[in-house]
Amino acid sequence: MAIPLTYNLRNLAVRKGTTLMTALGIGLTVAVMLTTMALVAGLQGVFSETGNPLHVLVMRKGSTSELVSTVTRPLFQEVKMKAGIAKSKSGDPLASLEMIEMVNLPSVDNPDGSNITIRGLLPAGLEMRDYIRLQSGRWFQPGKPELVIGKSVAARFPDAQIGRKIRLARNDWEVVGVMDAANTAANSEMFADLNQLAAESNRTEALSSILIRAVDPVAVAALVQNLESDRKLNVFAQTEAAYYESQSSSGALFEYLGMFVAAIMAVGSAFAAMNTMYAAVARRAKEIGTLRVLGFSRTAILTSFLVESLALAFAGGLLGILLVLPLNGVTTGITGNTFSEVAFHFRVTPPIMLKGILFALVLGAVGGLFPAGNAARKEILAALREA
Amino acid sequence: MGRYASLVWKNAIRNRRRTLLTITSLGFSLCLLGLMMAIYYALYLSDTPPAQALRLATRNKVSITLPMPGYYLQRIEKTPGVREAMPWQWFQGVYKDERDPNNFFARFGVDAKKLFLIQSEIRLPEEQKQAFIADRRGCIIGKKVSEKHGLRVGDRLTIKGDIYPMDLELNIHGVYDSTMGSDTLFFHWDYVKENRSLPKEYTDVYSSISILVETPESVPTVIAAIDDQFRSSSVQTRTETERAFALGFLNMMGNIKAILLSVCAAVTFTILLVSANTMAMSVRERVREVGILKTLGFKPGAILGIVLCESMLIAALGAVVGYGLATVLCGMIRQGPAFSSEIANLSIQPFVMVAMLLSALAIALLSAFVPAWTASRVPILDALRHSD
Amino acid sequence: MSEAIITTKGLTREYVRDQFKVMALHNASLDVTKGEFVALMGPSGSGKSTLLYLIAAMDRPTGGEIRVLGQDLRALSGNAIASWRNAHVGFVFQSFNLIPVLTALENVELPLKLTSLKKKERLEHAETALKLVGLGDRLHHFPKQLSGGQEQRVAIARALVTDPDIILADEPTGNLDANSANEVLSLLHRLNQEYGKTIVMVTHDPHAARFATKIRFLDKGELLSEGTKPADWMSPS
Repeated sequence: MAIPLTYNLRNLAVRKGTTLMTALGIGLTVAVMLTTMALVAGLQGVFSETGNPLHVLVMRKGSTSELVSTVTRPLFQEVKMKAGIAKSKSGDPLASLEMIEMVNLPSVDNPDGSNITIRGLLPAGLEMRDYIRLQSGRWFQPGKPELVIGKSVAARFPDAQIGRKIRLARNDWEVVGVMDAANTAANSEMFADLNQLAAESNRTEALSSILIRAVDPVAVAALVQNLESDRKLNVFAQTEAAYYESQSSSGALFEYLGMFVAAIMAVGSAFAAMNTMYAAVARRAKEIGTLRVLGFSRTAILTSFLVESLALAFAGGLLGILLVLPLNGVTTGITGNTFSEVAFHFRVTPPIMLKGILFALVLGAVGGLFPAGNAARKEILAALREA
Repeated sequence: MGRYASLVWKNAIRNRRRTLLTITSLGFSLCLLGLMMAIYYALYLSDTPPAQALRLATRNKVSITLPMPGYYLQRIEKTPGVREAMPWQWFQGVYKDERDPNNFFARFGVDAKKLFLIQSEIRLPEEQKQAFIADRRGCIIGKKVSEKHGLRVGDRLTIKGDIYPMDLELNIHGVYDSTMGSDTLFFHWDYVKENRSLPKEYTDVYSSISILVETPESVPTVIAAIDDQFRSSSVQTRTETERAFALGFLNMMGNIKAILLSVCAAVTFTILLVSANTMAMSVRERVREVGILKTLGFKPGAILGIVLCESMLIAALGAVVGYGLATVLCGMIRQGPAFSSEIANLSIQPFVMVAMLLSALAIALLSAFVPAWTASRVPILDALRHSD
Repeated sequence: MSEAIITTKGLTREYVRDQFKVMALHNASLDVTKGEFVALMGPSGSGKSTLLYLIAAMDRPTGGEIRVLGQDLRALSGNAIASWRNAHVGFVFQSFNLIPVLTALENVELPLKLTSLKKKERLEHAETALKLVGLGDRLHHFPKQLSGGQEQRVAIARALVTDPDIILADEPTGNLDANSANEVLSLLHRLNQEYGKTIVMVTHDPHAARFATKIRFLDKGELLSEGTKPADWMSPS
């Protein structure tokens, strides 16, 4: 026969000061963990949504990111001729030669300056990124020093606004448009005409990467296989999705740090919960004796106190979720493997909330187990005699 | 208050299990607080070591990832106040297999002779140093690299080029240790420069230039003099102290200061809750005894003091445990990857120790004040009748 | 011998409980002279404990006058009352009220911590007091390790260690068996006779009251005039 849950809930309510303080302690620990998870989820969201599975990204062999890769124009001509590449509206292969540059501007989070990726690309490159919409202004014109910036860049860098000029290597470049790239990394980039940008940085022959679109999923594997095995080309080919997947390791440091902090705080709050539950057992020694006299078993007593601890922890978990919920949708930036900022939103998703509750319950179980065992072991008469 | 000390102590150990749990709980939280404070102190408050105070670093103003033209080195060397200038070039490359991040360590091309003049912290036997200087295909590696990858003096290793279209075949001539961290491989930049098949964009550029100035006082003038002379060039420079340079690197990963402070705030609040909860429970159990003490003639002020002292005693013990744990964690962090020399040498400085203790005491006072005040004000008869 | 140590005139204590006025003590006028051992008797709720608490300055009257050792208790502030009580009054509780984490010796030493005595002197005084109550061999025992009678004798030692003028006892034998009760009562009697301590003791036990030199009865908050008992007072023995 089990002791009703209301008995535990009323007891928690009677000691509301202690209950609240213990639950809040657990809540803060859960909040630290959830903040970390929401950050990583947001970052992974950006990277996982960026890659089109039909796109193949070609870099120089050995490159871990576009930033360190170099490809030449003759190489581009050869790659473009491979079989299995989709055709553009005008009938040309859908292949874009691209280059990556960097500019450093003060951001809202970092007044000392954060790097922004500038991507120089061909018209095909824009056609392939069909998820990008112009939000305001207009597209850059070939042959002109003009930039179209991602909406995250516009939001996070006060100097990057339509009509403003940004100094690159030699010249001032005008911001002519803002683009909305759904929830992809392109929101954190600036786009410009490839040849104009290459001339600016005196890198007309050493460009960064090639993006091609396969006709169908089967062709993707064949293209990758074909490019990788072509010794003469000496390139590294992978799907765009796989590339961005690998970029999401940028959040690893934060993940480690956040989990480390949460783990240590967890020890602290589990002990605090244990303290509270021991006090509850001590206070109710007489009640425990009485319950035993009434016929409740030791197991029922053990379960009851464990359940009470879990209820306390559950409240803590809810508090933790309440604490991090306002973070949902807040934008922040992180400097990734490419040395430039990637903006993303914190994402407090239902699975993350569930993990928070589970984490809290684990703390509650750890904190409640020994006190509950202590309560169950009490001898009836000794318990009744205790003050 | 001295004569109440035994009473405070007896009260603190009355419920041994609770006190131990509280001390452990506070200890873990305070260790985290101490660690964050230690990192904050190391990065932002500690004095720069004298050797480092004389060093500056110059880089491309836009980004460390963009190069500076090679002739900048000669211009900088001729700048008044500069004693030595040495280029660093990031080679990156791949050791064994790029898929395993464990195979990663920093590889810099340098000017071997100047390296030891400028980075005076690098220590290795003189014969290893001379052997490295004499062999253009030689390199030296840090102690951590040596231990992690089982590389020893006399071994050969290959670094496959990724940014650079050439592979390095290097002879290890020395294993060094340094207070600035020991997870880097240094080789002769001349090795790459001599490769005539590489275009000049690869060989005649530098990612940063390390500068040794004559006197610490000349730092601001030298910084201004260097950056001014490239102001109207196509590649502008940014010169800063070596420490600011390293901090800039850390800050690229995120707003470190804000992260440290927010963790501190969350932890402090948790400690406050744990401590307040314990003291509230502890006082609630003793209301009757407070009545007895009052009957014997103890004044409200004395009762307040006794409870506050008990709370501070428990918190101070928690701080001791926290200090111990933080010291162990610092040791573990020193073994990990060094993002900067400050982190590579992280330890709990006396200043941080005192700050930990003071925060613990302040939190104890704050958290115990309400229960202590209530206890000291409760009327005697109510206290004596109290049953819990 | 007729020096008045405790004088109350029209002493009154009212409580408000659940919006009802409760008259715990009404218009009590009591005189206790030096060297007397007064027993206050009466049924539960008669106001005898209230009167005792007022004399100990553990409670404040709502009306009337009270002077103890010439001091108007109503004129003292909270802190001054604490010091005054420490210096002049020893209090013995029904439930002993020893501090469980302190030994017998430390419990007795406790009130001396409020004086200017050095630690060595404090311990000497405490030991003397414990020997006086016959517990010279139980100095380092904790309350848990003592019998009820022994615990109450430690409490009495604690009450007299400051050498107070007055000892106030609230049902000191209420929690004790007959033998222990007799030990405690003889002790109080001896303190009164040999050491000239003025004692006021609340009890509802007529046997205990026999150790006193004077008995005063209270009933329904009224202090009856000397020599009068409540009409329905049943003497068990």
